[in-house]
Amino acid sequence: MCRKPVLYLFTIVLISAGCIEKADKKIVVWTSTRPVEREAVQTRMNTFAKNYPGYRFILLFYAPEELRTNYIVSALAGKGPALVHCASDFIGPFSELEVIRPMEDLFSETFLDSFIVDPVPANTVFRGHLYQIADRVGNHLCLVYNKKYLEKPPATFAQLIDWGKRFVQEKGSGYYALAWNYTEPAFAVPFIGGYGGWIIDDRFHPTLDTEPVIKAARLIYDLANRDKIMPAECDYETANALFLDGRAAMIINGPWSWGTYINSGMNIGLARIPKIDETGLWPTPTVFPMGYCMNINLTRDEAEIAAGLIGYLTAPDIQLEFARKYNLLPSRKSVLADSSLWQNPLFRGAMEQMMVGRPMPVNTEMRWIWDAMRPAYQGIFTNQITPEKAGGAMQSLAEKLIEENRN
Amino acid sequence: MVKRASAASVLLYTAPAFVIMGMVVIYPFIYNIFVSLSNMSLAHFRDWRLTGIGNYLSVLTDHTFWYFLFKTLLWTVLNVFFHVSIGVFLALLLNKDVRGRTFFRTLLILPWAVPQYITALTWRGMFNAEYGAVNLFLENTFGLQIPWLSTEWGAFTACLITNIWLGFPFMMIVALGALQSISDSYYEAAEIEGANAWQKFWNITLPLLKPVMVPAITLGVIWTFNNFNVVWLVSNGGEPSDTTHILVSWVYKAAFTYFRLGYAAAFSMVIFVLLFVFSWRFIRRTHATENVYG
Repeated sequence: MCRKPVLYLFTIVLISAGCIEKADKKIVVWTSTRPVEREAVQTRMNTFAKNYPGYRFILLFYAPEELRTNYIVSALAGKGPALVHCASDFIGPFSELEVIRPMEDLFSETFLDSFIVDPVPANTVFRGHLYQIADRVGNHLCLVYNKKYLEKPPATFAQLIDWGKRFVQEKGSGYYALAWNYTEPAFAVPFIGGYGGWIIDDRFHPTLDTEPVIKAARLIYDLANRDKIMPAECDYETANALFLDGRAAMIINGPWSWGTYINSGMNIGLARIPKIDETGLWPTPTVFPMGYCMNINLTRDEAEIAAGLIGYLTAPDIQLEFARKYNLLPSRKSVLADSSLWQNPLFRGAMEQMMVGRPMPVNTEMRWIWDAMRPAYQGIFTNQITPEKAGGAMQSLAEKLIEENRN
Repeated sequence: MVKRASAASVLLYTAPAFVIMGMVVIYPFIYNIFVSLSNMSLAHFRDWRLTGIGNYLSVLTDHTFWYFLFKTLLWTVLNVFFHVSIGVFLALLLNKDVRGRTFFRTLLILPWAVPQYITALTWRGMFNAEYGAVNLFLENTFGLQIPWLSTEWGAFTACLITNIWLGFPFMMIVALGALQSISDSYYEAAEIEGANAWQKFWNITLPLLKPVMVPAITLGVIWTFNNFNVVWLVSNGGEPSDTTHILVSWVYKAAFTYFRLGYAAAFSMVIFVLLFVFSWRFIRRTHATENVYG
């Protein structure tokens, strides 16, 4: 008998919990942007939330790889955030797994026309569907140099090596002319373009066993091991720390990093990555937008609210503010044309580099190509394989992964 | 009547455990078997189909499996050896009536008390070639600079050192507990018989440690064999060149980075069989579950 009240109480608690859940609806956004940007976006989301009293708008951080994996796992389970803020190259795997929703029914033509299409399309349309609305373009690698050491950046690699050797000799052990996360394949891709090649062809077939890939790998290997103007072991954090400490005169890095350098009091300049002497071509960093994709599991109502939030977060006034504060390249035509931005030399430098960049392909094959490049490419720097053999190894692994996944 | 009621009670009390075990162990296990026989991958996630034992063949014929199996065995043997040696050695010291015993005991448990991922990331930082404490010490003392994380065996050694640091306190605590349960009368009797310190250790301490240490070593082997965290975090996901892997970290990478889900499921089944056979044979051979006094 005495169990009954407990049972009633338990039932009431369960029902109340259900009611609380219903009243507390959430629109969650996952992102991998920097803390300062997240703070600004969350503030804007809080303002937007005033229009939707029944909803909470939450921004959560994940590192890029965790964001990709966790989003896939949660969306496949019918859950996950309403929006995921990511680079456009995530769209291939996301659409392949059907975890993001086409958004063409949620936005007007006028709205979509306000985004840039040249030199790269800001919004991503893949297999006929609109999958991403960008809040920034670019995200490409540039040469960042410390003006304490260089007044003018080198225009060619021969100049860079020549200057670098003198710099290292003059400064002594522990100093480097250049540092960057060169063991990561994505950070090597600009040089492949500089030798006139690319990593994928128009039929989405990998093109890794080619002269440009081998020559690019050889150049990077030599910078560290023959010319000794780069550290022999260098990941992203180490390169950043070396540059911030003044132990590296130049770094190859993207727009997300520039704010940190400026805030730490460094006098930096931005320039194109120097020309490859042999070809006379500029290296071609991959240029890709970042923006919002929508979870496939949203209801129509939720999708409309999420679309409203996308519109709000990509509005020209917000983009202008973010471009000024965080040196982001805006995705809206009107903001990109703003003359005040062009007075900033960092903005001009980034735009100049973008002009010689190449858009990042978003097809799923790119995922397997990146994965196939990493083992052999990194093996070059541990002397496990020569650049000449690495091209073949990357190619065969890429073909194997593509075949295994497609069949 | 009493018997029937008691059987019903037993069933009632154990049912939740069975239901939960069914949901979190048995169902995923059977599902994994199906996936291992399928072509599930990034491109065939929703439209996967059973394709036979192809994944098992590609696991067993791929040199990657045998190479990572070798590395996993080396990893396990070295780790467990150092965990047990250091753990038992420290337990023997702490079992003596030394000053500040409580302080040292607490201090030596600390590596175990700190969350594993924090320890792993701290050690990764310490192995950094330019800024890491290890290289700064080696350079200032011996003029050496070792590229720990950018070479295959350097990264393996870095992972090994980190895991030894993390693992010895467990063995120390287990051994200390066992040592404290050994009656002094055995040692007094040995003393009367004229046994020296080594004879007492070999003939009394070691046999009486065995029933406690063997299950601990079995657990240690399984944990170390499956120790994903340390390898993954210290080597940053298997760098350089996907060479710093043990079997489980490679399975994770195959599944959640490369999305080779059928292959990864088959790989994990092979790991399961390996561990199952090992544990079963090890416990049978060592009679670890039998009473030493009986």
